[in-house]
Amino acid sequence: MIRKHTRRAAKAAFAISLAVAIVIGLFAAAFARPAQSAGTTIILGTKNFPEEFILGQLYKQALEAKGFSVSYKENIGSTELIQTSLTSGKINMYPEYTGVIVQDVFHHTLSAKTAAGTYKLAKQLEATKGFTLLNATPFFDTDVVAVTNATAKKYGLKSIGDLQKAGGFKFGGFPECKTRNTCFVGYTKQYRITKATFVPLAGISAYAALDAGKVLAADVFSTDPPLGKGSKYTVLADPKHVTGFQNVAPIVKTSVATALGSKFTQTVNAVSALLTQDAIVAMNKAVIVDKQSAAKVAGAFLKANGLA
Amino acid sequence: MSGPVIPKFGEGSSCVRGDHTFCPGWVRDHWNDTLGPALVQHIELTAIAVGIGFVLAFVLALVAHRLRVLEQPFGIFSALLYTIPSLALFQLLVPFTGLTVTTVEIALVSYTLVILFPNIVAGLRSAPPDVLEAARGMGLTQRQLLTRVELPMAVPAIIGGLRIAVVSTISIATIAAFLLPQGLGYPIFVALKEPTPFKTEIYSAGALAVGLAITCDLALVALRRVLVPWNRV
Amino acid sequence: MTLADAANLHTFVDAGRFVGDHPGFLATKALEQLELSGAALALALVVALPVGVVLGHLHRGSSVAIGTSIVGRALPSLVLIAAFLTILGIGFVNNMVALAVLATGPILTNSFEGVAGVDRDAVEAARGMGMTGRQILRRVELPLSIPLVFTGIRVAAVTVVATAPIAAIAGGGGLGDIIVNQASYRLAGVLGASLCVMALSAAVFVCLLGLQIAVTPRGLRRTTLGDDPARKELT
Repeated sequence: MIRKHTRRAAKAAFAISLAVAIVIGLFAAAFARPAQSAGTTIILGTKNFPEEFILGQLYKQALEAKGFSVSYKENIGSTELIQTSLTSGKINMYPEYTGVIVQDVFHHTLSAKTAAGTYKLAKQLEATKGFTLLNATPFFDTDVVAVTNATAKKYGLKSIGDLQKAGGFKFGGFPECKTRNTCFVGYTKQYRITKATFVPLAGISAYAALDAGKVLAADVFSTDPPLGKGSKYTVLADPKHVTGFQNVAPIVKTSVATALGSKFTQTVNAVSALLTQDAIVAMNKAVIVDKQSAAKVAGAFLKANGLA
Repeated sequence: MSGPVIPKFGEGSSCVRGDHTFCPGWVRDHWNDTLGPALVQHIELTAIAVGIGFVLAFVLALVAHRLRVLEQPFGIFSALLYTIPSLALFQLLVPFTGLTVTTVEIALVSYTLVILFPNIVAGLRSAPPDVLEAARGMGLTQRQLLTRVELPMAVPAIIGGLRIAVVSTISIATIAAFLLPQGLGYPIFVALKEPTPFKTEIYSAGALAVGLAITCDLALVALRRVLVPWNRV
Repeated sequence: MTLADAANLHTFVDAGRFVGDHPGFLATKALEQLELSGAALALALVVALPVGVVLGHLHRGSSVAIGTSIVGRALPSLVLIAAFLTILGIGFVNNMVALAVLATGPILTNSFEGVAGVDRDAVEAARGMGMTGRQILRRVELPLSIPLVFTGIRVAAVTVVATAPIAAIAGGGGLGDIIVNQASYRLAGVLGASLCVMALSAAVFVCLLGLQIAVTPRGLRRTTLGDDPARKELT
């Protein structure tokens, strides 16, 4: 009696091990990717916030509609991190903000005096590194400093420089903001704000931190839905243009752009041309407030405009 | 010049816009594009980690069963591993194996290994000496002893180890999403970053993770009952 | 989040330098983490220890005591932290409660097993001597259950300290603030902070072990440091 059970148990144990090994083999086979043909595959990355997800999906779907194959790497990280991906060849294209290129990637203290000037300068700078800047979008999205309406009233805050009135306070922002000329460094230096402590916000949004009173002021983005009509937050004016001009233009490795030809650049530029302020704000709202997926929103927009 | 056509993207339900506690409508709408894929990715991550970890642990345990040398260093390794915050371990591996599933799997396999190895070894050792004596007396060879006596008697301990390993891996795999947009942790991280953290997404992805863990645990208990019906531990 | 830094042996050197360059900062962060972990552990003890002890004494509700651990293990720490953030806001309390939930399993199960598993003969003898139930609990079962109970507390404590870093994404502070922030502190900083977490876990382990030895009745001390077979199943 016992012998039959132990033999059955042993066989079962062996069978399980074999099954597990087969399963692993199948998964390994499924994950094994054929080697990419070098040079002409578009590896499109995005930074780590919804607006970039939308931009990434727009370019991705538009290119795929025209027959290009796109390897898509969403949510790589902030500027510093995605730049490393780009220069090391892990990706060869991503949408970037012109002012960020000039001030944060190439570390010029202040960008040019106009949006067009900023774009031209960014294009020249990227060309020196072997990257092409395709056309810029009509819309721009700059960093802005926001406080709750109550805080603005309490200290009489109208522009960033007024924050000095608040004495010692906590300033929240995404971690990289601490060292950026278009962000905390710019705010404190250009507006002579001496008593602010920077609080890096790695997991929660700046709005949540403002609401919870964890920070007095925070760095947010001008196209964010919470800043729309009837907002709970006050945006402080930036008369010195510390945050620069920030239209979006896709950075593409020059060799890849050349190899893919004018059809590629035309497809991408056609998408960029459509991205007005209203368009991007509407898409941001759909993704952030109405919780639609970026892919669906981008698809709907492209279809409505005949690009997908 | 007129601007682009901006289609209606469809307003979120009042539930979603008001951030009520739970919006079943959102779950239904986004099962296919968010929750479903995340669940599948999570199962894949776990299955690979437990599969590879089990094979490795099994081989190592068989070796350790004959030569006692492995256990001391292993004990130290496992004690160390569990004090490293898993988030840190993932980040430390990235420079070596990149931001890929491989990196996540190396970490997950390590955690699985340190759970399964001692359990399999203990299981193999659990055969009472008199039973082994009797078996030897009946003329069984060393290998037959292993396959017909020690392994079957190790099944409860092995399954016990598998239960802990599977549930642990499912739990740790959620943190992998901090680096790689895969698995059930990814919707949670995304939802946390919204201007108001999005409750429904957090609760549904969380419920899926917990449900997955409990389901696997129950399945393994059922498996043990099939394999060793006389053992009602 | 891709990572910009290469890693090699030099990273460990850099990590050491990071620790050496920021001792005050790291000490503040470590203290923050200890505060959070300590509060969470205290909350779990207040809730789970009495329940486990009483159930063990009455030899009732074993499925609850053991089931709690099983369910507790199935709750990913990230899920707990995220869920409690939505319920209790961003800061200290939400993370304290989330980590306390993690600590409950080992404490409840081990205190139950510890008290319920006390040698029946000893309990019988005590009853024979005329002790009431409460006296048995206080004078026989509790002292004899110390090894298992403390093991549970130790496991819970180390789990909480090692898990606390992830609470940084929800405003929990501590060394996690560095670990989730490679962008600001670089890989060397993350590694340095992780080493501090490991040191903290080890310190907590040793302190609690020392406390356990101090509290264990002399007659039991030899077994405390030896192999505890029940521990393998309950950790």
